Amino acid sequence: MPDFKEEIRKRLAQLRLSPMREHEIIEELSQHLEDEYENSLRGRVTEEEAFQAVLLRLDESNLLGPELNRVEVQTAQESTATGGERKSNMFADLGQDFRYGLRMLVRAPAFTTIAVLALALGIGANSAIFSVVNTVLLRPLPYKNPDALMMVWENATHLGFPINTPSPANFIDWREQNTVFEGMAAMAQSSFNLTDVGEPERFTGRRVSANLFSLLGAEPQLGRTFRPEEDKPGTRVAILGYGMWQRRFGGDASIIGRAINLNGELYTVVGVMPKSFVEIPSFDNWKDQLWVPIAFSSEEATQRGNHFLEILARLKPGITRQQAQAEMDTIAARLAQQYPDYNTRIGIIVKPLHEQVVGNIKGALIVLLGAVGFVLLIACANVANLLLARAAVRQKEIALRLALGASRSRLTRQFLTESVLLAAIGGGVGLLFSIVGINVLKTFIPDTISQAQSITVDGKVLIFTLLISLVTGVIFGLAPATQASSFNLNDTLKEGGRDSGASSRGNRIRNLLVISEVAISFVLLIGAGLLINSFLHLRNLDPGFRADHLLTMKVVLPELKYPDKQRRAPFYEEVLRRVRSLPGVESVAFGGNLPFTYNGDSIFISIEGRPDPAPDQQVDVVTRVVSPGYFHTMGIPLVQGRDFDEQDKVDSTQLVVITQKTARHFWPGENPIGKRLKPGSSTSESPWREVVGVVKDVRQNDFLAEPKLQMYLAHTQTNAFAPNALVVRTTVDPLSLAATVRRTIWEVDKDQPVSDIDTMESIVSHAVARQRFSMVLLGVFATLALVLAAVGIYGVMSYSVAQRTREIGIRMALGAQRSDVLKMTVMQGLKLVLTGVVIGLASALLLTRVMASLLFGVSATDPATFLSISLVLTTVAVLASYIPALRAMKVDPMVALRCQ
Amino acid sequence: MASPILERELKKGSAELLILSLVEDRPRHGYEIGQLIELRSRGALRFNVASLYPLLYRLEKRGWIRGRWVEKAGQRRRRYYRLTPAGRKVHAAQRDGWREFVEAISLITGIQHA
Repeated sequence: MPDFKEEIRKRLAQLRLSPMREHEIIEELSQHLEDEYENSLRGRVTEEEAFQAVLLRLDESNLLGPELNRVEVQTAQESTATGGERKSNMFADLGQDFRYGLRMLVRAPAFTTIAVLALALGIGANSAIFSVVNTVLLRPLPYKNPDALMMVWENATHLGFPINTPSPANFIDWREQNTVFEGMAAMAQSSFNLTDVGEPERFTGRRVSANLFSLLGAEPQLGRTFRPEEDKPGTRVAILGYGMWQRRFGGDASIIGRAINLNGELYTVVGVMPKSFVEIPSFDNWKDQLWVPIAFSSEEATQRGNHFLEILARLKPGITRQQAQAEMDTIAARLAQQYPDYNTRIGIIVKPLHEQVVGNIKGALIVLLGAVGFVLLIACANVANLLLARAAVRQKEIALRLALGASRSRLTRQFLTESVLLAAIGGGVGLLFSIVGINVLKTFIPDTISQAQSITVDGKVLIFTLLISLVTGVIFGLAPATQASSFNLNDTLKEGGRDSGASSRGNRIRNLLVISEVAISFVLLIGAGLLINSFLHLRNLDPGFRADHLLTMKVVLPELKYPDKQRRAPFYEEVLRRVRSLPGVESVAFGGNLPFTYNGDSIFISIEGRPDPAPDQQVDVVTRVVSPGYFHTMGIPLVQGRDFDEQDKVDSTQLVVITQKTARHFWPGENPIGKRLKPGSSTSESPWREVVGVVKDVRQNDFLAEPKLQMYLAHTQTNAFAPNALVVRTTVDPLSLAATVRRTIWEVDKDQPVSDIDTMESIVSHAVARQRFSMVLLGVFATLALVLAAVGIYGVMSYSVAQRTREIGIRMALGAQRSDVLKMTVMQGLKLVLTGVVIGLASALLLTRVMASLLFGVSATDPATFLSISLVLTTVAVLASYIPALRAMKVDPMVALRCQ
Repeated sequence: MASPILERELKKGSAELLILSLVEDRPRHGYEIGQLIELRSRGALRFNVASLYPLLYRLEKRGWIRGRWVEKAGQRRRRYYRLTPAGRKVHAAQRDGWREFVEAISLITGIQHA
């Protein structure tokens, strides 16, 4: 029997059918030809004649090739393109790929574990940060139609307050004159001493306009909110927050209608807000525990120079923020003309509530989100590397499947399914990581971030995780998949599975991956470096006092019981005397509004012998009322003159201690001691005060801002701004004295609330919490990136060394020294790393600009940071290629050559 | 048969129906199908390898027939084609179409029904 198979094979050659299909057709057609041949032989012909006859008929119209081409090749393309009848197969294939992929992953546990871990870290970090972004930035505030809620501020930029708390008279005019807001509500921070039920305690809260709750669209859990007629002096009603109601009244529903003693007066509780009621954001970090009506007194309502309100407003439907701003600008201009003494250069700012809430953290979160994105990219690059190396190992398998008729597109799909599967597992583990991560995050996320404690993994986070897992799988699966599809079957089969031709392309991809890993980690490290640098700058800033060994607590005297300086002084003096004698106490003092706890009360002053400045030239001075010994206790150096002492009484000379900056401002080049000033205008009734001392400047509420002008008054000589904080310098751990000191205060007045017990160090560290938050997180992510990149470089270099074992063996056989081999290998790694560093450098120069707002004291292109990070990264990278290089050096030429 | 062009077009148009008809009753292999066409048309229609198999493959791709390798005792492995349910429907439709067509042609040309 002649070999018809070979004849058919020849005719099918140019069709490039899949090997399996080709085999099948040849089989079937050759049988047919054999049948014809046998049939022919039955006539009187020779075998040769029969053979030729069959071939003749085969080629009769020269149709076989073209016809088969039309059926096999073209329709195949058609059906893939349109989907059509192949659809069911696609899904069947997917299921098969999925099961196959799962088996492959189970069979290589080490590979799978490493890849899943890398991906889980990357995806977990992304999910965790995204859940923060989701809660803080994306989740709408829990009020009715929150987009229409605005905060309205005064703009006193010329005084250093671009966002300033408005005065009551201005607020009342705004409310009456505007046509853009559905309603406006004023709030004023206030603290309340609760007495007559158990231990006295101080609660923070706000006086609010009666319409505040309806403006927010918030319903009480019990009782009701305020009625409009309650917004007038003399009404004593209160609404409790959920926390205060639970803690102090045991969640007792009969609290409604009961009277409680606040600041020595009886207030009727009319409502309790639900747990879900989220606090209304405030100018600083004020926490509301209860509310009373703001009820401006007739005197208060006319105050235009006393700025202490926070204003919430709701836009009328259809009014935009811009329209509101425009109208408020007009009103501001009108008020400036009407009341030049107070309102000259005072503008109005309408700011969306959401922006107010997220404003100070938005930049940091976006940078962090970018950073974790980079971490994930590096993880992708690493896993892609692993997959490439594995693809090389799996060449035999690929060749076999191709030979058995798998199409290249099918193989590509198989590889993608495997990588997506890997990413999905990574995503699942990552989600677990992120849940743990969120709990860790919550412990040090600054509590100034709204809703920080309600951060959870919700549906949006799940969808986000799913999406990035899929995208991740496709990204890192693409490289190995394209490599598989460009795989040369013949070469591999011929070379018996040895890594060859196709892998030079693989090497190129691997090199690219290393370069990008280095570049990305460089950018991250620069970001982290800049933040760490800023933070160090921040911590090295001199706050103006010594924060160590300082115990602080709030002691707010109720106004009813202690209405003036004469009645307050005995309390202060007795507490100071008793605390001073406690063991472990070095010194003790009272002061008003400690640094970093309050923006500071400020008033403008006039100088004796000088004309009063024009209204827009007035300079405000932050004023703090203190007891003698305050400077010593706080560790504020006295530069000139003296501190207040026990001899400075109500009726002795009225005194003032000023800061260096104040001295320079009002008496440049002069000795300020003995000069006289007074709060308010020179014609006011308050007495002139003589400067007796000059102390160092202290930073007030913002670590980043320069200290403002400040002055100190003696508590015995001032009625306003009563000291509300006790500071104790201790020789032992400050907090160990807390209970004793509090008990001592209660010995003096058993009803006096004591709150906010804390060390000064912790207050200062709170002041930089936001910066620390960004720094720590970015630092963690950058470290993660560095480790991942190092692992990636190490992986690629070891792979390359393993691949080149024979080449290295030959080189050594030909006389290369071990050091040459070492140099060659390290240089190879170094070349990749340096390329990555250069690219990273360029990208970092562009990208770190977005961080400018987070930086302090360093520029976004700080050369020292850039230089040191370049060194760190290069060192790590060289180390990562040094270890494989050491292995290369130990290659035994004989062994290497023999293993060929 | 008339001109080669007409013959080719007629063959092409009818070939699908012929094959579907032949595998309607029972599965047959390619050689058998070719033989039957030649026999039953009394030699008027002949398919060679180059035209028959691409046609079979096309019908198979369309899901009208399905080929399966079958080993029978004493014979070698052959690929048998049988009609699928979808093919059965197509076959019925095509047969009706052809019947109408042939009748129409007969009416016009006066060719008597065989």
